[in-house]
Amino acid sequence: MPEPTTRRQFLARAAILAAGAPTLGAFLQACSKSGPASSGPSLTIAAPNNPVKWPIADDNKPIADGLAPEKGATLKIYNYADYLSPEAVKAFEDKYATKVEISTFNDGDEAITKLRSGVDFDIYNANYTEISRLVNGGLVRPLNHSYIPDIKNVWPSFTNPWYDQGWQYTVPYTIYTTGIGWRTDQVPADVGAMKNPYDVFWDPAYKGKIAVLDDFHTTMAMVLLRQGITDINTSSEADLKMVGEQLSAMVKATSPKVTITAYNDLPAGQLGIAQMWSGDIINAQNYLPEGTGPDILRYWFPSDGKGMVDNDMFVTLKGGKNPVLAHLFINHILDPDVAMQNFSAIGYQPPQNSITADSLVNAQFIPENLRTVIVKPEYFDTGYRTLELDAANDAAWHNVWQTFKAGGS
Amino acid sequence: MAAPGIVWLLLCFVFPLYVVLCIVFGQVDPLFRTPIPVWNPLQWNPSQFSYVLTHIVGADGIFGPALVRTAVFVFTASSLCLLIAFPVAYYVARLSGRRKGLLLALLIAPFWISYMMRMFAWVNLLQNDGIVNKVLSFGGLFTVNVDWLTGQPVVVILGLVYGYVPYMILPLYAGLDRLSQPMLEASRDLGADRFSSFWRVTLPLCRPTILAAVLLTCLPMLGDYFTSDMLSASPKTAMVGNLINDSVHAPGRTGQAGAFVMLVFLVALLPMLYYIRVTSRRDEVAS
Amino acid sequence: MRGPVAWWNDPWRPPRFLVGITAGYLAWSLLPVAIAVLYSFNNGRSRTTWQGFSLRWYWGDSTLSVWHNDALHTALLQTLKLGVITTLITVPLGVLFAIGIDRWRGRLPEGANFLMLLSFVLPEVLLAVALLFVLTTVALPIDLGTTAQVIGLITFQVSYPAVLVRARLATIGPQYEEAAMDLGASPLGALRRIILPMLMPAIFASTVLVFADVIDDFVLVRYLSGAASTEPVSVKIYNTARGAPTPALNALASLLLFSALTAVVIGFLVYRYLSRGDTTTKDRGIGAFAGEL
Repeated sequence: MPEPTTRRQFLARAAILAAGAPTLGAFLQACSKSGPASSGPSLTIAAPNNPVKWPIADDNKPIADGLAPEKGATLKIYNYADYLSPEAVKAFEDKYATKVEISTFNDGDEAITKLRSGVDFDIYNANYTEISRLVNGGLVRPLNHSYIPDIKNVWPSFTNPWYDQGWQYTVPYTIYTTGIGWRTDQVPADVGAMKNPYDVFWDPAYKGKIAVLDDFHTTMAMVLLRQGITDINTSSEADLKMVGEQLSAMVKATSPKVTITAYNDLPAGQLGIAQMWSGDIINAQNYLPEGTGPDILRYWFPSDGKGMVDNDMFVTLKGGKNPVLAHLFINHILDPDVAMQNFSAIGYQPPQNSITADSLVNAQFIPENLRTVIVKPEYFDTGYRTLELDAANDAAWHNVWQTFKAGGS
Repeated sequence: MAAPGIVWLLLCFVFPLYVVLCIVFGQVDPLFRTPIPVWNPLQWNPSQFSYVLTHIVGADGIFGPALVRTAVFVFTASSLCLLIAFPVAYYVARLSGRRKGLLLALLIAPFWISYMMRMFAWVNLLQNDGIVNKVLSFGGLFTVNVDWLTGQPVVVILGLVYGYVPYMILPLYAGLDRLSQPMLEASRDLGADRFSSFWRVTLPLCRPTILAAVLLTCLPMLGDYFTSDMLSASPKTAMVGNLINDSVHAPGRTGQAGAFVMLVFLVALLPMLYYIRVTSRRDEVAS
Repeated sequence: MRGPVAWWNDPWRPPRFLVGITAGYLAWSLLPVAIAVLYSFNNGRSRTTWQGFSLRWYWGDSTLSVWHNDALHTALLQTLKLGVITTLITVPLGVLFAIGIDRWRGRLPEGANFLMLLSFVLPEVLLAVALLFVLTTVALPIDLGTTAQVIGLITFQVSYPAVLVRARLATIGPQYEEAAMDLGASPLGALRRIILPMLMPAIFASTVLVFADVIDDFVLVRYLSGAASTEPVSVKIYNTARGAPTPALNALASLLLFSALTAVVIGFLVYRYLSRGDTTTKDRGIGAFAGEL
């Protein structure tokens, strides 16, 4: 029968442990993975009234011209789920005799963590709320424009966007607005005609059938817009406090689901009304059960364009092993036919010159009851963008969001 | 001979826990807000840990509800598991006679059916147009207006029970199987009726088994987050596992995730220590 | 003709109440899964409305079925790969650990034993997060991906064989080994020729258990996964279930179920074969197999 540890032995052991720990610490310091050092004391935040031309580091030059695509390679794309047409991907695979592997993420923070940990993706679907961190962290590779002639099909403003002057790193992918989508059989009210349609999220009549987007910036910005505050990247403590209180009130009033898959849940009948991106409601048509037509779907976005307007983009990653294929894929997506095919598969509108509101409705691509979905170029002048936040502000916003997601206080 | 195993456990179990401590008490990169572990305990910075502790109760208590909810869910689910598992295990272990083998195979079956698939099966059933609603509305007689998959604590608790009850049945079965029948029969012979024989003889005899089974089920449940995620994507049913999962990848909050990991570790450690003391004391008496 | 009161109070009656509970439990436990498997044979896209029988989600549909969808393929292969590699390493490691601890007396083995039990009972998410931290902050030659997943799984599962083998060793007792050594065998020889064969049933039971547990694992493999090619079936189900799953997912899960069942059946048959001379387990059939647990 083992005797119990005597106190002396315990103290002796503790002393040894305490003495050993700092040496262990020094040893580990030597082999810790030092990530890329943060350059500069703060991030340069790009904004529509503060356009930025990013620097290109000496060790991060674009690839040379005229290289052949890599053979026998697997192109790795890191994207949201259900956000790339399988047919478009297959066409690329056939054209260049290569394989494409798509990995998915749920939100940008998770994606950046994975990118920084060294997984070797080739293409990443980025947003301009991350572009500064991506460039500063040395994660993205500058583009060689000679591989991407189809840029001519895209709206001219995107060859010199404020978030990436001279399109050195990015290529636009989709444009979208953030509004409210609903189905008329569960929500008979005309949400668009209400004085402040954002009020539905606090209306107990919709309890249990309503959802907000699982994206901290978009949802909190919606709360700000409801109150008429148009600086949706505010760092005002009072505003953030108000948002926190309103979110708690929302949980109490309507107990919303927090998800980015409303494009599936709404047509399935799980939800009656949800905060949605414009592409989601188009995509929802594909998920309606047999026997239910798309005429029950509706979407509202402020008709004066004073709502959230954004675009997604593709970047090539420095850690990727197939840069030539990456460039070719990006060019492939900008082809008008492929873009249209992608549009019909994922529901999000590409900023192609050939795609206008009238052409879409005339070709009966978008039903008349969803005309409000189409993103017009004018929206980009009047709309509000969700911009990148600096570290302190980002922390403050995340704190409010975390309270909300932890079930409220 | 046990050396490789011990080395492995030290390297891959104890060391990572030390790394968690280094991250919780470490620093945060000012730009990307990724965690920077501080390896020397003398340089540890307790600010992230105290942030979590101070935000549990009180005016800033944002984590409190989730922690309390976890305790409530786990307690309720474990009790329900025990209520269901014990009769079933008792019946199969002692009273099923010829059908014991078959019943045991059926009981073990859930182990080899992916947990994800079992939850997924329930998602199918509980959808608004799923079978549960169809049955409840008696084929259209009533309109059932309940959304089962949106923030219903009952659904999450039942999901936890569904998922973890097989983990409780098996140890209970093993323990009850080893009880000696003559002792139980003796109490009946001496005049006790069915009920008091059960209450005064059977239950005390299988107390250690029940304790082991409860621990085996209760402790893993503390870290569960995917049940709540799949069955109800709502913040209203967030558990401590969800807190960990949400903050691990979030910039600037990885240290908080580590702090929660430490808290759960401590909460799980104490019953384990108690259990070890109880069983070793029992072994001492027996030997 | 007995009256209903006598029928109720009959001392030889079967325990109806318990039978009822057991039957109800089994139905509640297995029916949802049976329904999910059933819908994997559905002819349409729905997972809730039966639209006719078809095998399209298994190999018929040219883009979405398991046979044709590379992503689902890869997931299945990854699951099986993880299962086999982890089991091959975990079982010997755990068996050695158990034998070593059993013969050792003192505080160190008690500590080791406690550590092993702890790794068994701790919520998986703790280990997963801890390993994730290690891999992202300490410069090791290992990246997130299959290697990391295997390491995490071994750590989590090593206690399974250890516990089972220790229990069996306790039942066997020291007398066989002592008898062998009295007759002149060396300790290692006694181990190899006497104890190991007697432990075979426990070793096989633990192999089956570990394999079944690994192919079902979710938390560890998700945190430690790299690109999509390292995501096994459980992660695929989780990712897709929150979006827009087709019955191909049911088909994938059913395939996994069938492979797990096959593994168990094979394990059981081997167990029967190995313990055909063992008097302690004769006549107990499946009960003996489970009794090892």
